[in-house]
This record gives sequence, C-alpha cells and structure tokens, in this order.
Amino acid sequence: MATLKWRELSITTWQANMDALSDIFESVGAIGMVVEDPQLIADYIASNSWDHYDVEIPDVPPGMVRLKAYLPVDSRLDERLNLLQHELLARENTEGWSGHTVTFNDLLEEDWANAWKAFFKPEKVGQRIVIRPSWEDYEAKDDELVISIDPGMAFGTGNHPTTVMCIRALEDYLNTDELVMDVGTGSGVLAITAALLGASSVKAFDNDPIAVNVARENVAMNELDSIVKVEEKDLLQGVEEESPDIIVANIVADIIIRFLPQAQQILRSGKLLITSGIIQHRLDEVVEKLTDHNFIVEELISHGEWAAIVARRE
Amino acid sequence: MAKKVVAVVKLQCPAGKANPAPPVGPALGQHGVNIMAFCKQYNEATAAQAGLVIPVEISIYEDRSFTFITKTPPAAVLLKKAAGIETASGTPNTKKVGKVTREKVQEIAELKMKDLNAASVDAAVRMIEGTARSMGIEVIEA
Repeated sequence: MATLKWRELSITTWQANMDALSDIFESVGAIGMVVEDPQLIADYIASNSWDHYDVEIPDVPPGMVRLKAYLPVDSRLDERLNLLQHELLARENTEGWSGHTVTFNDLLEEDWANAWKAFFKPEKVGQRIVIRPSWEDYEAKDDELVISIDPGMAFGTGNHPTTVMCIRALEDYLNTDELVMDVGTGSGVLAITAALLGASSVKAFDNDPIAVNVARENVAMNELDSIVKVEEKDLLQGVEEESPDIIVANIVADIIIRFLPQAQQILRSGKLLITSGIIQHRLDEVVEKLTDHNFIVEELISHGEWAAIVARRE
Repeated sequence: MAKKVVAVVKLQCPAGKANPAPPVGPALGQHGVNIMAFCKQYNEATAAQAGLVIPVEISIYEDRSFTFITKTPPAAVLLKKAAGIETASGTPNTKKVGKVTREKVQEIAELKMKDLNAASVDAAVRMIEGTARSMGIEVIEA
C-alpha cells in the first residue's frame, strides 16, 4: 500500500482575512490549520510573560499571517483544490480582500504520534538518580535510583538544568526519614526523587490542577503513593501543622521571593530550603531576600544561565 | 519553573478532536513535542465546546516540554452560528447567505476582544464586520 501523502496549502494573507480563510479551508475538507503570525510572538515578548526565550519570528510581512492547511492526497484532491480556487476567486472583489497565492508542498505521512520519542533517552541526571521515559528499558547499575517519567506538559521532566541542580542538592543534603515539602511540584519529579532518596514523607503542592493530576500519575507509576502525597495548593498557603526538614521549590525568582515569608515561618532553625528556577541575573536579588528572611546561604550552585540556592534557616 | 521558550505554535483544531494527523503532527513533531500528551490535554480542555474550532497557542521549551492556552473560537465560526447558516457564501459580493444584527456583531466583538489585535471595541467590531462581509453575511440594524 502506498504511503499516505498530505498536500500542504500555504497562504499569506492579512490578519483580518484569517477567519474567512479558515472557514474556506474547512469547507473544502481541510480541518484545522497552522497560523504563523509574527505579531503573536511580538505580543508574547511585550507581555513580559517569558523570562527567557529564543524564538524564531515567522518571515511574514507586518500585519499578515501565513496559514497552512492540509488535505490528504487522494481521489478527491483535485476536486477540493478546484473548489478552493473557486472560493478564493469569488471573493476577489470583496473589500479588504486581495489576491491570494496558494503555494503547495507535499509531505509524507509519518508516525507523528511516536516519532518524537526518539528525542528522549534514559539520562543520569544526578549522582544516583536516572530519569527514564516509560517506553525505554533501563537496568539500574550499582546504587542508581531510577525514576520513570514521560515527557509532556512543561511540568519538569527531570533533565532541565534547574531540576538537575535540585536533584543533586537533594542527593547531598537529604537524610533518611526526613520530611520534605515540594512547592510547585509540576510533574512531581523532585517529590519522587526525595522519596527514592529515603524521605519518610513527602508533601507535594501545585496550584495547577493539571499538574496535580500529572504528578499523582507519576507518583503512582513509580509506586510511591504511600510516601508522596500531592495536593492542590498555592505555595504553602495554610500549611501549619507540620514542620519539614527540607523545602524544595523549583519555580521562578519572583514566586520564590513571594513565598519566602511562608518558608521563614514554617521552617524551624537549622532546616533547609533548596530553591531553583532562578536565572543568573536575578540571583543576587534572591540571595538578598533570603538574608532578609533569616536564611543563611549554605551553597550556591550554577548550571549555565541558571542558579540554585541551598539556604539554612537561622 | 522558568525555562527558555524556543517556539510558539498556533493551531486551530476541532474542539475535543485533536489527533496526530496534520496540522498537529507536523507542526509539533518538528519540535519533538509529545503529541499524544498534547492531544489528550487539548481534547480535555475543549471537550465542552465540541463542534467549534478552537485556536490554541502552544509554547514549546528547550527541553521539548510544552504549555498551551486556548482562545475564543474564530469570528467566522461565531458568525455562522449567529446567522444560523452552515456555510459561507462562495460569492459574498453578489450572494448574501445570512444576516446578523449589529448588536450580535458587537457581542462577538466583545467576546473576541481579548484575542483580537484591536485597539478598541469599535475596531474589533469593524474587524468582525469585515469577516461577515467576506462570508456573505449582511450586518443589519436590529
């Protein structure tokens, strides 16, 4: 059987025509489309919601977008393309509508559902901790501890520099039978690490309900349900009854600064705060705030453009 | 966690029905994103809007993980719904296929305001009116 092919239809148009074109695509059987919009990237940058980025801007003139839709190459393709030309021509004299050129490109059907897996392999990220995607076999050597986590939503898959630094700090500072709290747990990778390293109890918190579900799934996949409890919570809001030996928080500088008063209150003297997600140029500011909140910096760790801090409560 | 954003992909997909075929597969596959995880999360997030096309903006990070936000349905979809028609006119200048009131256009403009690059509601209204014109939908006074 011949491999299925797709015909990619690419049109550059004024932003205002985007919706009408999307409608035309749909009417000829191309369901869904890609929108390449330089303004979208500019808006994200202007909104300051990205700490850090290196994004290619589509080569489309200002005010315009490039739309890409896809039709299967089959017996109906010619009929659909004729209909598309007809629909486009019919609108030629409409106000604000100018000549659209459609360019075509053929692509072969690929196993898109699985091809991305090639990017992910088991990786030893700490002295002992190895992260393995669930579909890869890995046999632990010597004293290695293996965590199974599948990449997906941006909740931390274990190999990001900030996560790696937190994992290594947990390996260095966590003692057996300690109580750990993981603030902003995301995928739960740090909570799972703490449990594997011997913590007797780990409380993991995240304010994102999707992250909470993903973290619970990952805890279950690693069979650590009896040690790690995941709860939906904004930082440490309302946590009073227990005092942890270690709080680990891999978030971002602003949020870390915001939760320092809570950490100061909940940690007893001599206990540790391991924190990361800090871009190097914000490090001094976070260290200063830590000092303001009665923490003594025990160790500064850096990895490329990222920093982590191990601080002890006075 | 702060991570470096390396790409933003904007797609329009049928609510609750995203799958690894194009446009999702090739658009996200080139960035090494877990496509099944995206489809599952997108379909869960949009399940309640079945039947509509929902735009989604996916931010992809250096470790190939992603986040996404869904947007309001395209104006064309909302206009067709408001006019009670299945398809737009193939010859919008000469053949009108439906009508919407100015009030309804205003309502759609307000709903879409947060997702449009419009400086004011009036500007958004003009954009929606333009879309209506190119679809053969007349805008009438109530």
